[in-house]
Amino acid sequence: MLFHTWTFVLFFLVFYPVYVAVKGSRLKLPWLLAASYVFYASWNPLYLILVLWSTSVDFLAVVGMAKTRWKRPWLVFSIVNNLGLLGFFKYGQFATDNLNALLASLNVPYEVPAPGFLFPVGISFYVFRSMSYTIDYYRGNVQREPSFLRYATFVSLFPQLLMGPIDRAGSLLPQLRTTPRISRQDVADGLSLFVVGLFKKVALADYLAVYVDQVYAVPGESEAPALLLATFAFAWQIYFDFSGYTDMARGIARLMGIHLTLNFNNPYLATGLGDFWRRWHISLSTWFRDYVYIPLGGSRRGTFNTYRNLCLVMVISGLWHGAAWTFVLWGAVHALGYSLTRSLERAKFYEQRVPKPAKQLLTFSIVCFAWIFFRAESVSDAWLVVTRICQFGLADPAFPLWALVLILSVWLYQFAYESRFRRLLSMAPVRIGLVVCMVFYLAVAGSSGTQQFIYLQF
Amino acid sequence: MQKPAIPQEDATNAEPSEFPFGSNDVRLSPREWLVAGIVLLALSWLVPVFWERIEPLRAGADYRIPYPLGNDYWTYQRYCGEACGEEKTLVLGDSVIWGHYVRNDETLSHYLNELIGEARFANVAVDGIHPAALSGLVARYGRAISDRDVILHANLLWMSSERHDLQVTKEFAFNHPALVPQLFPRIPCYKVSLEERIGIVVGRELPLLRWADHLRIAYYDGTDLPMWTIEHPCANPAGAITLELPSPDPSPEATAEPWTARGIPPYNPPWVPLETSFQWGQFQRTIETLRRRGNRVFVVVGPFNEHMLTGESLEIYQKRKQEAAAWLRENRIPHAVPPALPSRLYADASHPLAEGYRMLAGQLLEEESFVRFLETQ
Repeated sequence: MLFHTWTFVLFFLVFYPVYVAVKGSRLKLPWLLAASYVFYASWNPLYLILVLWSTSVDFLAVVGMAKTRWKRPWLVFSIVNNLGLLGFFKYGQFATDNLNALLASLNVPYEVPAPGFLFPVGISFYVFRSMSYTIDYYRGNVQREPSFLRYATFVSLFPQLLMGPIDRAGSLLPQLRTTPRISRQDVADGLSLFVVGLFKKVALADYLAVYVDQVYAVPGESEAPALLLATFAFAWQIYFDFSGYTDMARGIARLMGIHLTLNFNNPYLATGLGDFWRRWHISLSTWFRDYVYIPLGGSRRGTFNTYRNLCLVMVISGLWHGAAWTFVLWGAVHALGYSLTRSLERAKFYEQRVPKPAKQLLTFSIVCFAWIFFRAESVSDAWLVVTRICQFGLADPAFPLWALVLILSVWLYQFAYESRFRRLLSMAPVRIGLVVCMVFYLAVAGSSGTQQFIYLQF
Repeated sequence: MQKPAIPQEDATNAEPSEFPFGSNDVRLSPREWLVAGIVLLALSWLVPVFWERIEPLRAGADYRIPYPLGNDYWTYQRYCGEACGEEKTLVLGDSVIWGHYVRNDETLSHYLNELIGEARFANVAVDGIHPAALSGLVARYGRAISDRDVILHANLLWMSSERHDLQVTKEFAFNHPALVPQLFPRIPCYKVSLEERIGIVVGRELPLLRWADHLRIAYYDGTDLPMWTIEHPCANPAGAITLELPSPDPSPEATAEPWTARGIPPYNPPWVPLETSFQWGQFQRTIETLRRRGNRVFVVVGPFNEHMLTGESLEIYQKRKQEAAAWLRENRIPHAVPPALPSRLYADASHPLAEGYRMLAGQLLEEESFVRFLETQ
């Protein structure tokens, strides 16, 4: 069940009136949890076993930490369990494929059997969410949640279950402890967020996907212009797709009186890779900062260790996104880019003399280059794209001008948003006009197909 | 003392700092949402109405829904409104009435007009429509058809097999799926997802979405705008809207010749009994809908190309014809069951050629029940 489907509308029409009626009673959490599990089970009922397992282990781990003197073993237990789940379901096939490739190269006549399990959607997100609770408790940053029902609801809350944001226990659990107040502004904000998210997903992301999929399916048949434009289009497709989902998730949560964290903040206006990661998938980058980068030492142990830690986090982040070498390479490119822009930012000339648009262009270029590896079907395909782009072959890319108009309009809006022209954008007729245009466009010209969300595969 | 209302600026600033609203200013207050809602409702109603003013339909004599617009139910609805506005007798049915193998001036309605010497009959048939879809078409898009005389064609071809009758369980793509019942009764071979069914139901209830479908079919090659721009990357999407609808003239078939010349062999269809036939049940619903709206309905059964039928199936077909006629008699629905046309005047199992339509028109105008129907108001 995806947010931009009629089935979800039906689900929400049943869920919401009951939720509003019971939100001040003891039935709130059971209803929320039941709805979340129904939402998740609509993908595959077997997935519930995994989310229940992860939830139960981490809940018990914190109980164990609270009631015994052995905090560290319980923490290790939680981390091993969560990473084990991820490792098995997400990386099992990847590990098996690589092991078999290695065995074949060594002429060993044996093949490790493929796991053959379905990949449970959302596992990367709820495992990280659940794990953050045990780590935060271990560090003393959060109180123990005594109610399993409330904790399970925190882990499985359906707006954020499949693709985040990866909200922390410290921000979401307190909201679940109180009766949510749903003001008219909450409803208005929820609708605003949802409409923007829906437009990003249906009108923009799904549209760009058609061109990108065509080109990246057989990159050897395209020349530089098409490959460049497809990469550019993919950069926007994945932004619209993921941020659109998040907007819809936040909008739905807001209708329920629940605030989820902002996950995207105009990332293509970033002036460096550090800035990019403070704007892109914010909940994930802060997760890695707090639970990987800082424990590794962060920036406190000298320049070499700082860059080492940054690079490690980037590569691990790449691996989090997918079980394939292309994602590892994507992380590595970000590691290099991050190191480069961080070094440049420490140079006085770059910091003070290079105009902001130039920094933004450099950052966007590095990010787009990295997206090649993210999108390509294989490492060889990625190299093919890179080499063909560098060959500067000329051919009509057949890129739809209308797509370019839409992308540039959005980009222009974002530039204006972070400039002195923002007050124009915040005028009521402009805001109302944009909402009317978006809804009208969706009704009249929206894509008739329903594409999956890209980040659902992670 | 009354609390002052929170102005928009303060409302947005009331957001907890750890939860900023978003990365854009597309944020409306409740009152602004009300304004947006009213504007959208107004546009939903006004845009299709305005469109009818600026896009000429040119539904003159011998008009029929152009073949490329067969799935454009918004245009069909519009055409019905125009045809009914001119007090015409509507001739309703599938591709037999539409004239699948002939030009628009060689159809049954054309020859009826020619023989009576006035433009009384209007062709409101849709090519490829079967009774289940026709029932949906009349119910949802034919609301303008009320208090009129309707000549409704019954093509028993749709009961000639379980597949035609939509009773097979194996999925296959049939015509006009958006018009058939989406939820109940279940059609075993119609296996689209719940998602698609809900989308179809919503799409046919909202005027704006119906109009959007019209744009898609009439100007964007039947695809949605994104796909159209992929296929026409440098074209201006607005430029594709020429406000010129296709002509009703050409038929989809390049040649019109007798079935025997086309090498179609005789066949032995496994006729479905009328009492268990899904399509016949839907045909009955169409009559019920038309009558409920104050229409006077005259049913023409066939004429099927009996020359194509072999052995036992011909006997069964005769029986089906009689059963159909018996039901029409029982329900006091005026009707005619014209005899089969000469073999050379059929293009296939049910479609006459031009000369066949002329002969059929002549037969009907000699049929007492038909003449009485036309003369009675």
